[in-house]
Amino acid sequence: MSLKVAIASFAHTHAAGYAMLLGAMPDVDVLSADPDGASAPDAGPRGAEFAEQLGVAYVDSYDELFAWGPDAVVVTSENAGHRELVERAAAAGAHVLCEKPLATEVADGEAMLAACEAAGSILMIAYPVRFAPSYLRLRAMVEAGRLGDVFAVLGTNNGKIPYDARQWFTDPKLAGGGALVDHTVHCADLIDGLTGGASATRVYAAANHVLHQDKGVSVETGGLVTVNYDNGLLATIDCSWSVPDNGPTWGGVSLQVTGTNGSVEIEPFLPHVGGTDASGEVFLAIGGNLDASLLATFLGAVRASGPAKAGTTPAVVPQPDGAVGLRTLRIVDAARRSALSGQPVDL
Amino acid sequence: MSEQLADLTVGLIGAGNIAHVHVAAWKALGARVLVHSLEGAPELAEQYGLEVSPTLDALLGQVEFVDIVTPSPTHKEIALAAIKAGKNVICEKPLTLTATDSHEVIDAAKAAGVVLYPAHVVRFFPAYKAAYDAIQAGRIGKVAVARFFRQASSPAGAGWYRDVARSGGVIMDLMVHDLDQARWLCGDVTSVYAVQNPPTVDGISPVNVAAHVTLTHATGAISHCRATWGATGTTFQSGFTVAGASGVLKFTSNGDSGYSEELQDGDTGGDLLIPASTLGESPYLTQLRELATGLRGGADPRVLASDGATAVYLAEAARASMASGRAIDMTSFDTSGAVA
Repeated sequence: MSLKVAIASFAHTHAAGYAMLLGAMPDVDVLSADPDGASAPDAGPRGAEFAEQLGVAYVDSYDELFAWGPDAVVVTSENAGHRELVERAAAAGAHVLCEKPLATEVADGEAMLAACEAAGSILMIAYPVRFAPSYLRLRAMVEAGRLGDVFAVLGTNNGKIPYDARQWFTDPKLAGGGALVDHTVHCADLIDGLTGGASATRVYAAANHVLHQDKGVSVETGGLVTVNYDNGLLATIDCSWSVPDNGPTWGGVSLQVTGTNGSVEIEPFLPHVGGTDASGEVFLAIGGNLDASLLATFLGAVRASGPAKAGTTPAVVPQPDGAVGLRTLRIVDAARRSALSGQPVDL
Repeated sequence: MSEQLADLTVGLIGAGNIAHVHVAAWKALGARVLVHSLEGAPELAEQYGLEVSPTLDALLGQVEFVDIVTPSPTHKEIALAAIKAGKNVICEKPLTLTATDSHEVIDAAKAAGVVLYPAHVVRFFPAYKAAYDAIQAGRIGKVAVARFFRQASSPAGAGWYRDVARSGGVIMDLMVHDLDQARWLCGDVTSVYAVQNPPTVDGISPVNVAAHVTLTHATGAISHCRATWGATGTTFQSGFTVAGASGVLKFTSNGDSGYSEELQDGDTGGDLLIPASTLGESPYLTQLRELATGLRGGADPRVLASDGATAVYLAEAARASMASGRAIDMTSFDTSGAVA
């Protein structure tokens, strides 16, 4: 039986990838809406024009989108808009895949989890790096005890500034901040998966604005976040938008994990065909499409769980779930406060 | 998985090394697999939950199509038997050991109205496909000079591999992949020059041997393939460098995998429970899904029977070049009169 999957907003650059993957699935009907697209100051197409380019059906308003009765909704709005759309999706009895970060404020995140729980809706967070082959291998190594006791992690998620395609990423209100908000959460999620959901107890962040000042952005563009966890683990995450605009690829993720019996380092986006072309270095990624694994996991859980039933837990709760989204959002929120005060923040 | 591949019943013929990766792919596609082999069928069947067919005819009577993974010299006879039974055929590379035989099989398939695909899996490895797509898109301009290499621990220590009449030697067995790549990435081949060291004597290949083959292409490109049966324990590696008028593409399989570890000796903990998806999708799965989709009437796959025959034809030309010490002109090279 076909699933009805709605795409709410094209604000996030990842919406295009999801739309193309969903559109190619024979047993999925896709409907999209991007009512705020017309007023966005973006260079690329939005709204109906973008939907046509992506080959997915389109309606002009969220009212029409939710009235369609979707089985599942993919929320790819600006970060600050996640709460409203997730709450509407839950109210419509749909399961939800929400783009990261969960929200810009912890209170919003808590409300979203409560809304989905009450509605019996799945709330999964779009953290695709969880599905990287190298990460799955690392996690198996940790779970088998091959590294001994893991005591420290150094993570990096450096990329180009997401500026040209979508301007809201550097809007403090719509994004919730800059690099600290955009890039801390992926590594925090990978660590969450390795620890089985350890909670941060203390967060220190240093941030600056040295990079990309030519673009006149007001948000932080560089950041280093150090986290102590309740299981004793120490971790630091470099979340900077430090890949130059003319870099050969968007950026990458690394996670260096140290235990009492050795260490493992992964770089999930490193496998590639390299070289040069007329415009400089060539980087053809060959690591596979992690979004495809993410969507397959989400839709598999949606099918297995059936329609959301208010007051009941879904039969399958796919990971990373809303609770992971909230734990990682708490780290971001503490990092923002620490960067302002210059002192660590206890949670 | 797509409805297009629902309820597959595959006849696997052969139970050697490559059978294992094919079985894993068929299982991932939800196929029912019957296996027939002179050796090893019961063990393979037990390991993967397959059904054993005692005879080739019994297998042919029950399956939708066959997947031939037997030693190279048996490909022709088995493919012809399957075609005679009206079954579509997927056949491991090399399609047959001579281009004449390949064309005989292709003609038989055509006459019987069945479809034949060779399993040239390298076309399904992401790095090679990424290079092909980039070249097609004009990313590096007109291709000028390309190099391909492939090396492995020699399989020729024992068994049938050393007998060149049966394995075809290092060029037919190993380099055939890159001969196909060179053609795929650089275009049709106009000449072949080949050397090998140490040489094959009285039809018996050395255990450790390297072959170097230089090709010229109708596009004006030139290319080189190196294949090595290395010392026992040699890590399998492959790679390429393709230089074009406005760029270069490079890849080696032993380059950055995105995973590295340094572990101390001692207690290494419990069993590793690595999810099946940990290595990314197997190129064998990508390949067999695409070939099976083609057999079910879907889009043509990226490799056709004629490509398999041409790869064999190039390998034969390489052998002819070694025998004569001359470059072989492919516009007139005629292995037996059957191949234009």
